Amino acid sequence: MPHDRNRSRREVLKMLAAGSGLLVFPIGTLTASEPEASAEGAHKPYWAYAVDTTRCIGCCACMRACRDENDVPEGVFRTWVERYRIGMDGEVKVDVATGNDHVFEPVGGEVAKAFFVPKLCNHCEKSVCNQVCPVGAAYQTDDGVVLVDSKQCIGCGYCVQACPYGSRFINPETHMADKCTFCYHRLDKGLAPACVHTCPREARLFGDLNDPKSKLSVLLRQRSYRLLKPELGTHPKCYYLGLDREVI
Amino acid sequence: MLRFFVLIGLVVVIALIVRSQMIPESFGDLGHFRADAVEEAKRFEPRHLGRDVCADCHDDVAALHVKDAHARVECESCHGPGATHVAADGEGGIIRPDGKAPCLVCHQLMPARPSVFAQITPEDHYRFVGVEDPEVDCIACHDPHEPLFMDRDLRTARLHPLIHRCRDCHAGRTDETLVRPPGHPEIFECDYCHADIVDGFAERPHSEVRCTTCHLFFRESDFAGRMLRDSDPRFCLLCHREAEFRSDDAPPGIDWPAHREDMADDTIDLDKRCVDCHQDRIHPLQTRTAVGSEE
Repeated sequence: MPHDRNRSRREVLKMLAAGSGLLVFPIGTLTASEPEASAEGAHKPYWAYAVDTTRCIGCCACMRACRDENDVPEGVFRTWVERYRIGMDGEVKVDVATGNDHVFEPVGGEVAKAFFVPKLCNHCEKSVCNQVCPVGAAYQTDDGVVLVDSKQCIGCGYCVQACPYGSRFINPETHMADKCTFCYHRLDKGLAPACVHTCPREARLFGDLNDPKSKLSVLLRQRSYRLLKPELGTHPKCYYLGLDREVI
Repeated sequence: MLRFFVLIGLVVVIALIVRSQMIPESFGDLGHFRADAVEEAKRFEPRHLGRDVCADCHDDVAALHVKDAHARVECESCHGPGATHVAADGEGGIIRPDGKAPCLVCHQLMPARPSVFAQITPEDHYRFVGVEDPEVDCIACHDPHEPLFMDRDLRTARLHPLIHRCRDCHAGRTDETLVRPPGHPEIFECDYCHADIVDGFAERPHSEVRCTTCHLFFRESDFAGRMLRDSDPRFCLLCHREAEFRSDDAPPGIDWPAHREDMADDTIDLDKRCVDCHQDRIHPLQTRTAVGSEE
């Protein structure tokens, strides 16, 4: 009997293993599947962004364009412009354009130097927000754009907390995570993101890193640039040209 | 024992059913997310359409626009997204900027703005150009599509031989309110090369006007650093046009339509430049002894 009992226990274990295998198997096949190669076999872009801080005039046309293009509610921003004012004593003051028209007002007081720094989602190659999302609503497309699946998002806000650049927010109207999409709906129509499109000074640039002849690729070869918080290992894809060391 | 296996089987089946319901259809096709979301993200229609679409109807404005200082400014930077306007066949749906504020969004003097970019404090600028009424809008003098009134001159102007050196510092138009910094290289004193023109200029009516006010429109554009030559009347009218808002000590105003009619009566060629008659007001012309002159 003990022998029989052992056998039957083994059989039970086998069946349990087979049963759990049934549960695990489909997941294994799903995660192992590769994205299909594009039907045309054509060049696949890998989008990235550059900001030339030496050219920005702080007009905030980018912020207004982003709001108009993407219906961004008042009080939250997918992109924003920071004004840095560094006093003679080295004190650093940072402010952003307020109001729904996003206009900087002149501020008095002597400064050693002052400049504008446009900011937006860095569309990190190793994005933290994607890793913390519990429902798979944060994802990165194969052309390098980090997006939010609004049908999956549950608005828990983990990604908002995880983003080291403050680029995500909870949309007060949809109550879901929201962020810069590089105007993904414009890209496949051959249009640049709205902020790049309306920048009157070409301080914002957008392009394809996979194309060595794209304006962005050429620029990044020719000019020196910095990344925001590179020590975090997020591999951001927003390259800052002429960025001051005070900016974090 | 059989009951136990049936129970296990039921649990497995229920788990599979729940799983199939919980996981969206395309989840995992491209990675750990719903693949359909990528296509859904592309579905929105762009609202900023670009200047080429604007030029389909507004070709006259577009033709002016590309020649002047705002050549790189997209129509929609000032007028807002054009999709609604286009969808309504040009009826409304577009912003018509009004007042000084839309101009000052870019051109208000701020320390944070690059020094090479054209910027003013309205009070100083109005005082300099002789505008008394602070309520006058920028567009009273500057057409925003052609803000420097220079389209003809841009085609005929010639590059200054030394301009590349100036551009090292002055990529934008020199702010007329700035005082020349001490220790500025002598080569940039105009009389270094143009002594024959500058000679006697101090006694002429324009003696207080800097050479650069008329001659050097430094701009970061394809037209940067060109000399003003053969200007059409509109250039002189930038300062001399008669207008109600001008102060008493402003440069002499000219009633241009009347002046033009006077000239017509005298059968003078209407294409004649102001300087052809008023040369004594500025400085001798056709004296091109400067280094690198082309003629």
